[in-house]
Amino acid sequence: MQIKISLRNVFRNRRRTAFSLAVIVVGFVVLVSVLGFVEEALLSTKTSLADESGALQVATAGLFDNTSKGYDYLIDPETLARVVAAAWELEGVSSVTWQLNFAGLVGDEAGSTLIIGRGIVPCSDLQDYECIVAAGSPLDESSDREAVLGRALARKLGVQPGDRVNIATGTVSGNFNAATVSVRGEIVYALEELEAQLGLFPISFVQRLLKTDGIERILIGLEDVDKADAVAAALQQRLTETGIPLVARTWKQLNPSYESIESFYRAFSGLAMMGIAILVFFSVLEVLTISFLERSREIGTLRAFGTPRGRIFGSFLLEAASLGVIGAALGAVLSVALILTFNAVGFTWTPPGAAIPQAIRLGLSARVIIMPILTILVSTLLSALFPSWRNSRIEIVRALQSV
Amino acid sequence: MENTSQFCHERGLPFLEARALSKTYQVGSSTVHALREVDFAAMQGDFVVINGPSGSGKTTFLNLISAIDRPSEGEVLIQGVSTNTLSERQLAQLRKDKIGLIFQTFNLIPVLSAAENAEYPLLLQRRPKIERAERVRSMLAEVGLGELGRRRPNELSGGQRQRIAIARALITRPKLVLADEPTANLDSETGAQVMDLMRKLNEEHCVVLLVVTHDPAVTKYAKRQIRIHDGRLIEGGQP
Repeated sequence: MQIKISLRNVFRNRRRTAFSLAVIVVGFVVLVSVLGFVEEALLSTKTSLADESGALQVATAGLFDNTSKGYDYLIDPETLARVVAAAWELEGVSSVTWQLNFAGLVGDEAGSTLIIGRGIVPCSDLQDYECIVAAGSPLDESSDREAVLGRALARKLGVQPGDRVNIATGTVSGNFNAATVSVRGEIVYALEELEAQLGLFPISFVQRLLKTDGIERILIGLEDVDKADAVAAALQQRLTETGIPLVARTWKQLNPSYESIESFYRAFSGLAMMGIAILVFFSVLEVLTISFLERSREIGTLRAFGTPRGRIFGSFLLEAASLGVIGAALGAVLSVALILTFNAVGFTWTPPGAAIPQAIRLGLSARVIIMPILTILVSTLLSALFPSWRNSRIEIVRALQSV
Repeated sequence: MENTSQFCHERGLPFLEARALSKTYQVGSSTVHALREVDFAAMQGDFVVINGPSGSGKTTFLNLISAIDRPSEGEVLIQGVSTNTLSERQLAQLRKDKIGLIFQTFNLIPVLSAAENAEYPLLLQRRPKIERAERVRSMLAEVGLGELGRRRPNELSGGQRQRIAIARALITRPKLVLADEPTANLDSETGAQVMDLMRKLNEEHCVVLLVVTHDPAVTKYAKRQIRIHDGRLIEGGQP
């Protein structure tokens, strides 16, 4: 009966209830939108970083710490083979590839410019460059003296697929070397600055250019990026046990800025949650206080018949909780509909300094819905605490005299 | 309503006693004496009407007897137990089990139906569902509203509401029923019907009935009349 009274009281003053529900639903939708945006932003940042650098990398400590001299960080083919074999033995590894990078000059008779050359294993599962090719085609297994240049770099050089350019750099022993390659394609890259300097080459070509059979780093892809720490620890143990003097680093260790980005977004979410909680708290507090005060005589009557204070208190809390649950349920339905519609429309924007427009999406997960539900329920219940307590403590005679 | 003839055998035995009952209120810097050293006793089966001008202390007296308020001095004994010795929880228990209250403004819970309003005290007593349903059915029939149990209070007339309030007050078979101006908001015909019903309940169920009223028509129903004036009780004898 107490539950019945509470539920019926929720809808007793429909206008007032509608106002409370509107505040709760709007707050809920705003909160879900913020959390959905943050979740999607963090996920896309994490995915792009892990795609770019691999979930794990294995290289010398000197390379990671920038303490190497010259090319003393290179990994010989035998060690590479042992690391690759050890990596594939670990659970959750989805791909393994390796790179050899260099810095040099690129150009033709008309002029030259700096290039950051990346020697890659073409057709690697880990780094799929095909989807960012803007013109021509990506490198494939048959590629040798070919390059895929950043679109901005190609424009700077005035070349297009099919043209030839010269590459010059120092070899690992410090001598000068140069070669002519054919431009096979152009890629767009997330960062415009890097797009103006980046060139991709088959790793076998880069090794010949640098006159080495070594590689710089091994990149490992995982089925679940979130397990990077565990896999890195297991791999490091194998490396140490087998006497391979290399270290494994996770994508987070390689991109320390991610933690700052994550902290910023989490703080942003926390502030949004707090703001909505405060908004709901005061709105519901005002409505419940008026509503409860209007029912003083009823409270007096119920108490006069022997209803314990605790039951009166519980009844008011239940009423507030019902309001919160109904509001949260409506908010959840509306939020899901809005997120699905928003994502279906497909908004994009190009961040400053970026070359590729990015999709603005709102993430939809259990966390995105559950956190607002908890926020709404807690703030609604907190807002009901004082008026409920006050009403349950009111003197019966005074309550019965209320109009 | 089930016959409470077992209780009727105790007709004439002391049930309720007020000893030197006083109530004072502090209004600003002055002290208001709402009730001054009132002595009163009611036997089982009594039907007492309490008269007096407005502000004389009638309702205060009823509040103290019904244990919804505590005296400043003196004590109320119900079946020999002083309410002063009882905790808040025990007072709630006492009201729940032994006292029925009827208010001038009916005080029905608007979100509950007539039947649910009548049922409420039984829920407080944690009576089984079947027993509750049976008692509600028989009590509503007794007050002549057997067909209107599903209606909400705002769908009932004043007289019907007061009958539901009476049903609610009596459904737990209390030994003491206190009514504060039960006919004040009713027309004379409906008021007479309500008082007929109350007299019937008093006679058939041996309920101790204390009725505060200004209405001379109500007074004639009582077996005994008392008058309160300026917080002091004046025994009026037979009405």
